Amino acid sequence: MSGIDWLILAGTLALIISYGVIRSRGNRSMDDYLLADQSLPWYHVCLSVMATQASAVTFLSAPGQAFTDGMRFVQFYFGLPLAMVVLAITFVPIFHRLKVFTAYEYLESRFDARVRVFTALLFLLQRSLSTGLSIYAPSIILSTILGWNIFWTNIIMGGIVLVYTVSGGAKAISYTHLQQMLIVTVAMFIAGWMTVHLLPADVGFVDALQVAGKSGRLNTIDLTFDPDSRYNVWSGLIGGFFLQLSYFGTDQSQVGRYLTGQSVGQSRLGLLANGMLKVPMQFLILLIGVLVFVFYQFNPSPVFFNKVETDQLLKSPYADQYRRLETEHEAIAARRQKAVLTLNKALSTDDTKSVEQTRAVISQTDQEAKAVKNQVVDLIKKNNPVGDTSDVNYVFLRFVLDFLPHGLIGLLIAVIFSASMGSIAAAYNSLASTTIVDIYKRLFCNSYSDGHYLKASRIATVIWGLFCIVVAQFASKLGSMIEAVNILGSLFYGVILGIFLVAFYFKSIGGKATFWAAVLTEGIVIWCWWTELTAFLWLNVIGCVLLIGIAWLLEKVMPSRRLQPVDAVDV
Amino acid sequence: MHQSDPDLPPFARSWRQLYFLVIGSLLLEIVLFYGFMQYFS
Repeated sequence: MSGIDWLILAGTLALIISYGVIRSRGNRSMDDYLLADQSLPWYHVCLSVMATQASAVTFLSAPGQAFTDGMRFVQFYFGLPLAMVVLAITFVPIFHRLKVFTAYEYLESRFDARVRVFTALLFLLQRSLSTGLSIYAPSIILSTILGWNIFWTNIIMGGIVLVYTVSGGAKAISYTHLQQMLIVTVAMFIAGWMTVHLLPADVGFVDALQVAGKSGRLNTIDLTFDPDSRYNVWSGLIGGFFLQLSYFGTDQSQVGRYLTGQSVGQSRLGLLANGMLKVPMQFLILLIGVLVFVFYQFNPSPVFFNKVETDQLLKSPYADQYRRLETEHEAIAARRQKAVLTLNKALSTDDTKSVEQTRAVISQTDQEAKAVKNQVVDLIKKNNPVGDTSDVNYVFLRFVLDFLPHGLIGLLIAVIFSASMGSIAAAYNSLASTTIVDIYKRLFCNSYSDGHYLKASRIATVIWGLFCIVVAQFASKLGSMIEAVNILGSLFYGVILGIFLVAFYFKSIGGKATFWAAVLTEGIVIWCWWTELTAFLWLNVIGCVLLIGIAWLLEKVMPSRRLQPVDAVDV
Repeated sequence: MHQSDPDLPPFARSWRQLYFLVIGSLLLEIVLFYGFMQYFS
């Protein structure tokens, strides 16, 4: 990075932090600090919800995913608009009407204090550990590629967020989310435009799409119903719906965002706007990855994008083998480049026969390149058994550093920081609000002044921030980051979603049955994971379904004393 | 559907209409993505 990049990076971050702090000065109550006084319009809610969900890895990983696997990942988000509609109909009006600070507060009015505190503790455990991983994931990529010290990158990544989260609370988070989304959108558009600009003079945007399409990278829709296929329309609509419903409906880092809406209508509108914007946004991010793929069809590409791993190979006893594979890869790339140029010419002259012939050559070279890459991955594994054998997260950043102009590099590094800060800030705020509202105030000190709880919320934010940074410092021991985050979520999300579904849709089941079902189910889920009984994604389904089933059975065996039913779903 | 909220949406006559708009736009996106994929492949 050059001086201008550092200047743009530092300037952007300073702008975000100071804007957030200035716009949110004068928090006087807990309502103000944790829910922005429920004063924000729908577009704030929408952008805040989007910024919370889109972490740094979204902007690093998604283009890399499109580069290697095409655009089929977009289908993963098809369930999101449906989940937004369900949330707008059920969750939002109930949370607003009860004037809750956290989602778990509602559980006490529906069940009892035990269910509320138990669910809050599950959330705190899961969210604090996964936020540590969210700090570590972009830090390790930046420190690997830019040679930064991981210890300090973690501290800066997790620490600068604390500045405005502690002082400004939910309002600062929402205002900075607005700016972060603006910066991310502008920078990603410029990156996409620059990628097209870097293509050969006779290759335009439509030509690039033709090449991508003929290379199988525009595979946006797969209508086949195949449970083994990770991304198709059906897994996106059905599986994605449940995943997004549990995330947006029961995770306080999201619930806290849409509770800042100034009315039920504004919160609803924010969520519905998110439902309409998220899929096109994800499509465009993936399209940038596809354009990077096309760029590398006309230019030499590295055989493996994580340079640290390949540099280690060059210093190892496997260096000669690696060099041979690199030469093989270069020869394949040269053949493919020739074929792509012929394809481009054939497309412009509508020469169907030549198009089909070159397409076959491209497909063949693609397979050969994959085989060579697999051999490189094997060498990396042999050389360093704990080495990172996936380079998906490095594709886009390596392209940015190698080919984009100075200034834009600084802006795109700022995008990574901004996206990371957006999700981390919301997580800190949700950890603090759950700790103070559902644990501290509920169990220990329920008769102090509002000022006392405001101060306690600030202290809780600092403590959780420091805890998450400490978790990030130990995260390197956990292996694959994405997998670690998903496993952690899968251990708790199913049970939490099950509790909320019982609350909303099974009016006959009371607190006692739900509490013991939750304790029992959480134990079973952890046992299933410990004994490796099933793939971890199924733990979500097991947790949710088991909880509902056990709670229903327990209710039959030991019926709860009926309290005044609170807020059945009015749909 | 819950319709008692006095805060009506600005872009539609009722919330129900807006929900259908969101679901409709999802279906339209799926159709457009399919067409996009077919056209360029």
